[in-house]
Amino acid sequence: MKKTIALLLTLVMVFGLVASMPAYADDEIVINFPSIWVGTDSKAAYMSQLIENFNAENAGAIKVVVEEQTDYQAYRDKIRTTITTGSAPDICILDTTFDIKAYAESGKFMDLTPYLDEGWGNDFTDGAFDAWSVDGKVSILPFESAVFTPIYNAKLLAECGWDHFPATYDEFFQMCKDVKAKGFNAMGQMAGDNAWSSMLWYSLIAEAIGGKDVYADGLDNPAFVEAAKVLKEMYSYTFDGAVSAAASDVNGHFLARDTVVYLNGPWWIANFYKEDNAVDGVLLADDCEVAVNPTYEGGLGEGGLVTTVQGFLAAAKQSDPAKEEAVVKFLKYITDPQHVSELALSSGAMFFVKYTPSPDTSLISQKVTEVANNAAFTVLHVNGAFPTAFSTEFPAALSALVLGQVDEQGFVDQLQTAIELAE
Amino acid sequence: MKLERSDRGPLLAFLLPAIIMMVVFFVIPVIYVVAVSFLKWNGISAPIVRGFRNYLLLYKDKAFARSILNNVIWALVAGFIQVPLAMVMAIILSRKPKGWKFFRTVYFFPQVISGIALATLWRAIYSADTGLLNGLLRAIGLGDAARDWLGTIETAFPAVLIYWVFYIGYYMVIMMADITTIDTSYYEAAVIDGASDFQQAIYITIPLIKRTSLLTCITLASVMGLRQFEQVYMLTNGGPANTTSTIVLYMYKKMQDSNYGLASASAVILIIVGVIFIVTIRKLFEGRGDKAAQRKAIKKARRALK
Repeated sequence: MKKTIALLLTLVMVFGLVASMPAYADDEIVINFPSIWVGTDSKAAYMSQLIENFNAENAGAIKVVVEEQTDYQAYRDKIRTTITTGSAPDICILDTTFDIKAYAESGKFMDLTPYLDEGWGNDFTDGAFDAWSVDGKVSILPFESAVFTPIYNAKLLAECGWDHFPATYDEFFQMCKDVKAKGFNAMGQMAGDNAWSSMLWYSLIAEAIGGKDVYADGLDNPAFVEAAKVLKEMYSYTFDGAVSAAASDVNGHFLARDTVVYLNGPWWIANFYKEDNAVDGVLLADDCEVAVNPTYEGGLGEGGLVTTVQGFLAAAKQSDPAKEEAVVKFLKYITDPQHVSELALSSGAMFFVKYTPSPDTSLISQKVTEVANNAAFTVLHVNGAFPTAFSTEFPAALSALVLGQVDEQGFVDQLQTAIELAE
Repeated sequence: MKLERSDRGPLLAFLLPAIIMMVVFFVIPVIYVVAVSFLKWNGISAPIVRGFRNYLLLYKDKAFARSILNNVIWALVAGFIQVPLAMVMAIILSRKPKGWKFFRTVYFFPQVISGIALATLWRAIYSADTGLLNGLLRAIGLGDAARDWLGTIETAFPAVLIYWVFYIGYYMVIMMADITTIDTSYYEAAVIDGASDFQQAIYITIPLIKRTSLLTCITLASVMGLRQFEQVYMLTNGGPANTTSTIVLYMYKKMQDSNYGLASASAVILIIVGVIFIVTIRKLFEGRGDKAAQRKAIKKARRALK
């Protein structure tokens, strides 16, 4: 009996092993694509459809196999490790937490310049490659862009006696006091996890103070110390427990309609329209308005906009010309302006591809685009402007600042030390 | 026993797979880590030899010093609070009181849940505004004690550590298995001599497991304490102000920065701290052999009962 059970178990395991092995046609080119645009990501649904369509159109010749990665940080760790160990996936998504310049210089990625020069490059926005090309060669494509501008719950703000969004930071803090007095939170802050929301606010404040040249002298610009002071003050007007909070807390409070101002990238816009986030049948979007970064008294940032590259596309260098062609074909397919237009519509995200926005584009997306189009100049988000060590250290430095362990200068010094440590 | 020449071949054949595995999966990686610790390397560009500079940077970095301190505290708490708690429960449940199987399962249950899931659960419990702990405090009129447990310098590290201390099931079952092998005649003799349950535990059980399962559990628990990562990463990411950071988390952050030299140097320090810990623990428990220990324990128990 025992022998029979053991034999059956072995057979089941062997069958499971064989069944789980993917089957491909002999001459089919398989493109491995670990992706974060899966699961609950706002781009997941359309990307999935896009890849399915591509595979159907190229059936028997090319097959894109998506390796789903829903945890963004785990994805970064995996990609970083695979690239370091010389086994980069055929296609991957990078962001500004990677040292893009070093990656572009490494020679580990496919040189896309010849293909871009054939006309594909015309699909991208002017100057999109300038900051990321090395010796005139483009191997890492900026794909998803982001602009950061406050979005606020106008209905909640009206309940606090405000019929407009503050135009200056002085006015902003007056609003914060009124909002808090009514029992609401002015904005969501978080020093836990990667301190994403607070880092965004820090970028906006630094831009408002330092203007377009805020990064010219690195962290030596006094704007960063001043911005730290303002950011610390904001913690008086956020929800309890912001020091240990994560992005889910910030999002949760805004969705719960107890926080007035929200700051995140355009990829989050789709959530404003989700039925799941509606209260009494009213969509969150119906209560919300798009604002611009307030100006700072004596600051140089009026009319400026904080932006970043949210996603780069990179392809590992291929030794097989046929596979290289297949990878490029797929990259062209997902960066096709028509497809990007659909992707933008479904997700709310923005891109470095020239596309005609769909007439069905959401009102909030349209307003964010309008803010972007009206910007006098743009500056990078701090996480793209400084080395990765800045972003890694930011939560620790910020919590130390908010809890009074360091002063504003100490906060900036801590970030500077982290950068120097990595150099 | 003298080894015959003819035995050497088979012995080597048996040992060889283990030796190869050890060399491939431990010795070579450790040598590699040590070598990288002397480099400046971002994982892509050509590495640059920087000598002991990485170690000097670690020496100056307060966050790293705090990480070592936290790991040492963690290892000590693991070895000298968590394991003794597990030992007490193992001794009690080994007496097979009513419902002992139920409690054995209950205590062991957290071991089958992933550390990430437990950390997520406790993150929700500690949450400042919606957490169960603060809700409970407010409900019983202690609202003033409610706070951001994971976001306050004074409470963050104890909060991360304290719930974990009570997950004793793993060590408990190891010690229970050992206790069941103790010859029952010792206990029967002790009962005849009038020893209480407590005296039997102190003078028979503990001395007899001290150098076996107890030492193993303390070593294991201390090593677990030294390599803590996922709990801290999930609950606080080392914050606030690096007060809950650990060496592995520090190492991970340096890898995120693509600073592989510094990450490797911190890994080398972790290995050194681990070796010091294990050697110290073994020295502390070093003594005569088991038989001698048994005789000594019985003599001691008899003296106590006179």
